[in-house]
Amino acid sequence: MLVLAAVFLFLMYSSTGTRTEITAAEKVLRESFAPLQNGLSGMKRGLAGVSINLQNKKDLARQLAQIEKQNQELRRENQQLQESAAEVIRLRRLLDYKQSQQEQYDLTAARVIARQPNNWFRFITIDRGSSDGIKPGMAVISPDGLVGRVSNCSHNASQVTLITDREMAVGAIVQNSRETQGIIEGMGEANSLRMINIPYYAKVGKYERVVCSGLSQFYPKGILIGYIQSVEKEANGLLLTADIAPAVAFDKLEEVMVITGVYAPVADAPGQEE
Amino acid sequence: MRYVVLALLPFIAIFLQSTFFAAYTIKGVVPDLVLVFIVFYALLNGAEKGGLYGLLCGLLEDLYAGRFIGMNALSKGAAAYIIGRMQHRVFTENVAVGVVSVVVGSLLNALLLMLLAWLYFAAFEPGPGFIYSVFYQIIYNVLLTTPIYIWYYQSSKRGLLKESGER
Repeated sequence: MLVLAAVFLFLMYSSTGTRTEITAAEKVLRESFAPLQNGLSGMKRGLAGVSINLQNKKDLARQLAQIEKQNQELRRENQQLQESAAEVIRLRRLLDYKQSQQEQYDLTAARVIARQPNNWFRFITIDRGSSDGIKPGMAVISPDGLVGRVSNCSHNASQVTLITDREMAVGAIVQNSRETQGIIEGMGEANSLRMINIPYYAKVGKYERVVCSGLSQFYPKGILIGYIQSVEKEANGLLLTADIAPAVAFDKLEEVMVITGVYAPVADAPGQEE
Repeated sequence: MRYVVLALLPFIAIFLQSTFFAAYTIKGVVPDLVLVFIVFYALLNGAEKGGLYGLLCGLLEDLYAGRFIGMNALSKGAAAYIIGRMQHRVFTENVAVGVVSVVVGSLLNALLLMLLAWLYFAAFEPGPGFIYSVFYQIIYNVLLTTPIYIWYYQSSKRGLLKESGER
C-alpha cells in the first residue's frame, strides 16, 4: 500500500505544471476516446440541428403558406388584368370603329349578357333596351361585320336575332363584282351561312367578300357579312348557292353596336378596315 | 317548398344555359338542362304530372325565346309524358335509368321539335348540322345527368323535392 501511494505521489509530482509532451499511454487513451467524443459531440450538434430544423420547418411552412396565398392572389390579379387588357383592346377597337363611322351611323354600344338557351334559335341578349333608344328592327353590327337585327326590346335589354338564325334573310351583294345579288340566309348553326338565288352566270370566286345590298329595309348597304367558301349549282341549273363563312365570330361576341340612326346611304362600311 | 324548388329549377336551367353553358359549348351546342329536369320529374312522378311539368317548363323556355311559343311546350310535354309512362316499369333508383331516360327524352324531344319545325318551316331540312347538334346535345346532357340525377333522386325521396304526403 505504501509503495502504491508513493508511486502515485511521484506521478502527481512529475505531472504538475504545463506539460508539452504527453506519454504514449495517454496518447492511446486520448485517441481511443476521440472518436467517441467526436460522435457524441456530433450527436449533440445533430440534436441541436434537429430542433433548429424543426423551428426552421415551421417558419418555412408558414412562409410557404404565405407565398402560396400571395401567389394565388397574384394569379387572380393577373387573370383580372389580362381580362381587363383584352376588354380594353376590344373596347378601343369598338370606339375606333364607332368614331370612324360617326358620319354614317348613330351607334349605341352594348354588351352581350346572354345567348340562346337552346340549339334551335340563334340570338343574343344585350344590355340595352328601349330606355336607351333601341327599337325592334335596328341592325346590329360589330367591327367585324353584320351581327343581326333587334327582334324585341324590354326596358333595359334587347334580344338580337343573329343572321345565322334559320329565320333570317339578308339581301347581299358580292363586293367586287357589284352585280351578283343574292340572299344570305341562316342555317341555324353556330357559324354557317348560305347565299341563295345567285344567277347561274354570275362570276363568283372563293374568298370574295359579301356585303349587304341595301335592298333590305333593316340593313344599311355595304356592311360586311362574310366570305364565299364554295359555290354550287342548284338542281334546276338556273341558280347558284354559295356557302358563306361569316365575318363575325358569333360564339365570341362580347360587345356589339346597334345602329340607331343612318345619316346617308354609304358605299361600304363595317369590316372595311381589314 | 317542393313546388318552389320545382318552379325554380327551369329558371335556373335557362339562366345557366344562356350564360354559363353558352360559354362552354360542345361544338357550339349547349345542353338542355330544362329537359333533363323534366325527364327526371316525369320518371319519378309519372306521365300525367310529368307531361304537365314538361308543358309548363317548355312554355317558360318558349316565352324566354319569344318565338314559336308552344313549340318547346309541346315537344317537352309530350317527351315527358312518354318518359313518365315508364315510371313503374323501371328501377328509378338506378342512375343508369336516369341516363337512358335522358338519352331517350333528348331523342324524343328532338324528333318532336323537328316535326313541329316542319309545320313552321316549309323547307326545313334536318341536315348534318341538325343531326350533329342533337348528337352533341345528348352527349352534353348525359355528362350532366349522373350528378344531377343522384341529387334529384335523393331529394325526391327524402329532401326538398319529396312530396309532403309521403313524410
